[in-house]
Amino acid sequence: MNRILELILRLGVWLLLAPLLPGIINKVKAWVAGRRGPPVLQLYYDLAKLWRKGVVMSTLASPGFIAGPAVAWVALTGAALLMPLGPAGSALSFRGDVLLLIYLLALARFCTAWAAMETGSAFEGMGAAREVSYAVLAEATIIAAVLSLSVQTRSVSLMTMLSPAAGAGAVLLAAGLFTVLLAENCRVPFDDPNTHLELTMIHEVMVLDHSGPPFAAILHGASVKLLLFAVLLVQAVLPMGKLSAPTAVGVLIAGVLVVTVCVGLVESLSARLAFRRVPLLLTTAFLLCLFALLIAWRGGAA
Amino acid sequence: MLVSLGAVVTALLLSVWQRRLWLGLTVIGAVAGLSAAIMVLRGVADWEWRSAFALGGEAIHLRLDGVSALFFALLSAVGGCGAVYASEYWSEHHYPESAPCGRAWWSALLLSMGLLLTVSNGLHFLIAWELFALFGFFLITLDRDQPEARAAGWLYLAASHAGTVCLFAFFSLLAVRTGSWDLGPMREQTALAPLFWLALVGFGVKAGFFPLHIWLPSAHANAPSHVSAIMSGVAIKMGLYGIVRFSGWLPVPPAAAWVVISLGGTSALLGIAFAFAQNDLKRLLAYSSVENMGVILTGVGAALLAVTHGNATWGVLALAGAMLHVWNHGAFKSLLFFGAGSVLHATGTREMSRLGGLWRAMPWTAGLFTIGILAVSSLPPLNGFISEWLVYLGLFDAVTSRNAAAWVAGAAAILLAMAGALALASFAKAGAMIFLGAPRTHVAEHARECGLGMRGPMLALAGVCVMIGFAPTLFWPVASRAVASWRPAWGTAETPGPLATLSAAQVTLAVLALAAAGWLWRNAHVNGLRRGLTWDCGYARPSARMQYVSAAFAGIVAGWFGWILQPERKMRRPRGLFPVEAIRLERVPEAVLERVITPVGSVIMVAATSARRLQHGRLQFYVLYVVAGLIALGLLVILKGVR
Repeated sequence: MNRILELILRLGVWLLLAPLLPGIINKVKAWVAGRRGPPVLQLYYDLAKLWRKGVVMSTLASPGFIAGPAVAWVALTGAALLMPLGPAGSALSFRGDVLLLIYLLALARFCTAWAAMETGSAFEGMGAAREVSYAVLAEATIIAAVLSLSVQTRSVSLMTMLSPAAGAGAVLLAAGLFTVLLAENCRVPFDDPNTHLELTMIHEVMVLDHSGPPFAAILHGASVKLLLFAVLLVQAVLPMGKLSAPTAVGVLIAGVLVVTVCVGLVESLSARLAFRRVPLLLTTAFLLCLFALLIAWRGGAA
Repeated sequence: MLVSLGAVVTALLLSVWQRRLWLGLTVIGAVAGLSAAIMVLRGVADWEWRSAFALGGEAIHLRLDGVSALFFALLSAVGGCGAVYASEYWSEHHYPESAPCGRAWWSALLLSMGLLLTVSNGLHFLIAWELFALFGFFLITLDRDQPEARAAGWLYLAASHAGTVCLFAFFSLLAVRTGSWDLGPMREQTALAPLFWLALVGFGVKAGFFPLHIWLPSAHANAPSHVSAIMSGVAIKMGLYGIVRFSGWLPVPPAAAWVVISLGGTSALLGIAFAFAQNDLKRLLAYSSVENMGVILTGVGAALLAVTHGNATWGVLALAGAMLHVWNHGAFKSLLFFGAGSVLHATGTREMSRLGGLWRAMPWTAGLFTIGILAVSSLPPLNGFISEWLVYLGLFDAVTSRNAAAWVAGAAAILLAMAGALALASFAKAGAMIFLGAPRTHVAEHARECGLGMRGPMLALAGVCVMIGFAPTLFWPVASRAVASWRPAWGTAETPGPLATLSAAQVTLAVLALAAAGWLWRNAHVNGLRRGLTWDCGYARPSARMQYVSAAFAGIVAGWFGWILQPERKMRRPRGLFPVEAIRLERVPEAVLERVITPVGSVIMVAATSARRLQHGRLQFYVLYVVAGLIALGLLVILKGVR
């Protein structure tokens, strides 16, 4: 009984808090630009509205057009449940859970790209092609980051991997993971979530034809993914295991807020990169994580 | 076991005339073979059978141990499914001339591969190997009217024999040094270690890892689809079987582990990069086999690495993952080739940019192919993820051990991750181009679903994919039995605890995904679902030609790998105010074959042609040669005498 209650509570935290992040980012952007901006809770209103709306489906689309977002949402929620939350730990922890998490993110990516291709539109094909291509470099970066954490803690389970501090390579790891966060969540400088009618988008262009409840699932899933990466980044860098439980929770929340504000600031202060520069930035992120791995190694040997 | 052999032999004899009887007997043989293999895998004892009958002066000795039983089970399963599939796909109705031959060669191929897996005598192994290569050739060139199929067959035969040369050297040297043709564990004779390199090259050609894969893409693409399925699912595994077998039985040189694991990582990444750039569906699948062989080889390399580092336990995980991936790849790749065959059957083209929107006409093929896609992209909750997860876990444990093995294991893990992401991209492309969107051509519009005979085997293989994905704990003992045969020092390992948790997670994921999809579907219908044109930012009349095509989808990655893919582009830009035409053609050549092997081959050809001028049929000159030769010999003798 307790376990079920815990699971519900955990789901509640992830699912209810996640849509806050895009709201905060937008507020930061508005603040920097000197505007009032939409309310922080805007995404909640949008989701509630979309959930009640009808769906327009392309005449070409198969049932996979609706199943795709659903499976992607389940995969992202599952990945979130594997991610430990400071002292509260994770819903399910086992040796090698980090690999399941990475592959669940891949499953979500596959489903979104699949649903995009259902419409037979060139725009959405473009977005899907970009999404799956850039993910190659992002995935290498994540694995390098995970390897460095794993070398440092001699463990392959997220719970133990994320409890100590990242050590000497923390700055490199933080920079690398932050870049992956921006890339995987389609934020500036990789993608511009504000534009809708451009040839230059990744994520937004994949969801052009979605509407109603499936679109709500996509938007909500994207916010869960953003929260997931923010939580991962904070826990990878800060020594969560050494703090007392209330402090750890406080630090986690503060850390996630800082990351979110940083995303907003990056978005306000920089422009989207030209597409040919994107692989360059991602490769830089990969190298940062690789150097973090090397430092973890030397640190262990010394 | 013997029932299986008997049934397949009878099937072979009857194959030409009796279609139904052949099918029944082959299926009986497959089931018997499968149960024999499973009995060996579940038990502890090996199956052995000695006959007084001698072939080539050596008594026949058959043996099925953990490693060979694992491959034997795969052979039986795919062989049986393929026979059922072929009876509709390559039936008398469609191919009145080659259908009976196809059945005969199919049985012969199964038989030769079965022999290859069971014989434990070097001479017989070579005989079986040669037969297997020959029957493969006849199956690839079943459709003899196609020039591509003939060319692919010759290339296959040539490459195969280049490998066989190494194997001849390998087995003869082995026989000379040990004094007998008998094969078996001889790990303590360290002088045999250098022979491993010969085996690696000889078997490597058949296993098709990079850069020895040159024959593989064209052979798999141009063969009939059921043949592609068994070539890709089982036949290339025979090469792998050789590597696993002899790296287990013989001592290996210290550098072997490093070489094997780097070959594995490179094959995985470059294989899938080539796959992504292909526009031909079956060529894409063939290159993806190169990738999967890379994954398996990485696992084997990690196990060898563990052996050199004091039999570390992470080697068990990596090798068990590799062994399970042998089954997994056999199942999903055969499924995908069957699906490709069904598409080819319905539309007559393998060109992905000429297909599209087939899900409407072929819902079964589309659904089953999608299962194959999820499995081959190693996504949870299917089987590909389980075996890759085990290999990853082995590599991660090697990295955390922080000894010299860690460097290479870390690099392999990163290469595998990139290959995994590229596999996802390749198969998202393949599935989307074939089944989603609007039909791009007339043939795609008028496709028809395949019949029960082709659907059944696909269903069975998809079932295997789902089963291994949902209940990996059932299949762990199999992999661990093979590991124990490979290296008895490791013994049969307990099921790792996380595997049970993982299997629960996989099942939960699948159930929740289905439930969520159903819920969303219902909700969308309750709110009202309207069909409309693809909006696409407001096009009024989108047409099928506006869709993204295969080469465009792969464009970004093809650019990154341009240094090895060497794509050839032909382009004519639109000109003037009212452009009439614009062309952009892109072709990805077989880089290794066309840029390395063919130039070298043509140099040899030029040398040989110029040497041939010496032989022109004029008797006077021949007499001159003889005289010149005699004088040269005389000079040699005189000079020697002087010294």
